[in-house]
Amino acid sequence: MIRFDNVTKRYQTGLDALAEVSFEIGTGEIVFVTGHSGAGKSTLLKLVSLAERPTRGQITVNERELARVRRSGIPQHRRGIGMVFQDHRLLTDRSVFDNVALPLLIAGTPRAEIGKRVRAALDKVGLLAREKASPVALSTGEQQRVGIARAIVAKPALIIADEPTGNLDPQLSLEIMNLFADFGAVGTTVLIATHDLFLLKRMRRRVLVLDRGRLVDDFHPEPAA
Amino acid sequence: MSAQAQPVKRPVPEKPAPSARRSRVSLRERLAAWRDQHFYGFFSSLGRLAARPWASVLTVFVLGFALALPLLFWLVYDNARELSGGMREAREITAFLRPSLDAAEASALASELRKRVDVVDVVERTPAQGLAEFRQLSGFADALDALQDNPLPSVLVVTPRPGGNLDAPPLLGDLKADARVDLVQYDAAWRRKLSGILRLGERLIVVVASLLALATLLVIGNTVRMDIQARSAEISVMQTIGASNGFIRRPFLYEGFWYGLLGALVALLIVGAVESSLAEPIRALIDSYSQRFALHGVDVAVAAALVAASAAIGWFGAYAVTTRHLVAGRPR
Repeated sequence: MIRFDNVTKRYQTGLDALAEVSFEIGTGEIVFVTGHSGAGKSTLLKLVSLAERPTRGQITVNERELARVRRSGIPQHRRGIGMVFQDHRLLTDRSVFDNVALPLLIAGTPRAEIGKRVRAALDKVGLLAREKASPVALSTGEQQRVGIARAIVAKPALIIADEPTGNLDPQLSLEIMNLFADFGAVGTTVLIATHDLFLLKRMRRRVLVLDRGRLVDDFHPEPAA
Repeated sequence: MSAQAQPVKRPVPEKPAPSARRSRVSLRERLAAWRDQHFYGFFSSLGRLAARPWASVLTVFVLGFALALPLLFWLVYDNARELSGGMREAREITAFLRPSLDAAEASALASELRKRVDVVDVVERTPAQGLAEFRQLSGFADALDALQDNPLPSVLVVTPRPGGNLDAPPLLGDLKADARVDLVQYDAAWRRKLSGILRLGERLIVVVASLLALATLLVIGNTVRMDIQARSAEISVMQTIGASNGFIRRPFLYEGFWYGLLGALVALLIVGAVESSLAEPIRALIDSYSQRFALHGVDVAVAAALVAASAAIGWFGAYAVTTRHLVAGRPR
């Protein structure tokens, strides 16, 4: 699903955010990317969503070499990715329903279909009753769940999440992570950047560890005894 | 709406559809999606205006006044042109004879003139006729009654044969040289001045209208630009979830369109108000001269053209600033 070949990203400041990183993620895998802040987690996700271009190396997402995606093709590329942000980035001037419907509207989904799919997505995150609410009226955990509903509503093959539980307490974090685990179970690839070691232990999924831009570990925790 | 969208909701057929049919359905779906996206832009832009009613109303009124000004100029010009239209055709030379000449001498001069090849017709106006006409038009009837004698001279209205030197026909010189003629009034000269003034007015309107169209463009562009800045977070969210530039731009384009459209409507209202407040005194003034002329307002075609042009300017202004923002904000 995702392949990095010797990818280096050097910012204009001269800092190597990523240095010669190579890995491969299969379809339906749930993979965590971890490391200290500044280790290159966000840069890695940005390269996948084409918010940044690599300085060197090759990235393939869903059989597509990203270097061949031209600027005009970037929106199309991003529509195939569900994105979840730490600060959820909901649009506060419209309802929960309209927020979740946005990717479908962008993709040009028929109107009749939008209602069904938005409600299905809200149902999946347990917020069906709140579709008419304004995002600001929701708790932080609920807002993040709306953000997740927005990410999954267009049924993308890949979901990437940048510190999705950064603002949540451990109990809520676990709930959110279990949501992601469910998506993995139905064949969606999920890539999550986090520095929450407690969660990593609980989830028992493959972990990529970055340190100052280098991939220093790639392991799959054994099930706890 | 939902009734129209119904066909595309149909479940996927169990057997794979022939490719021709599938592409037709997908074209229809694409059209429906395109229409839905335009509805989205159309209504969300209205929502944006309504979300800041005062700011929107102010902007619309600024635009309204900016557009009303050239429209008023145009109205004045157009009416003046029409008013002068009748005079443009006038080719008569009016000769005021010396007061000392009596009616017989005036008739003699008239028949003398009629013999000339470059004269089509000569109309004699006796002092009595002139007085009656003056009494009717000027409203000084009472004052005239107080006069003992008729102070008006005999007048000959000479129609020259068309063609030749219109500015200074030989006839004109001959009349001026004639000792029996006191004063010659020939309209061609001042008609030339009038058409010069009208041409200047025309040019002035074009210049003022262009400047104010530019002002409209700038006002709308700046308003939309401020809205873009207020929504830059929203725009970046939309970009990260795969919105095309067209999708992001569309509500702003409609916003510019609405500003232009509403501004033009306000301009028409302003012009209408000015017109109706001036109509009565102008009509009274015109009636005192002649009944031929009627003040006319903005006709439907001009109003429609103004609205269309203004909406187009708004659309274009919004297009320019959104493009600039999207180009500046894209990832390197």
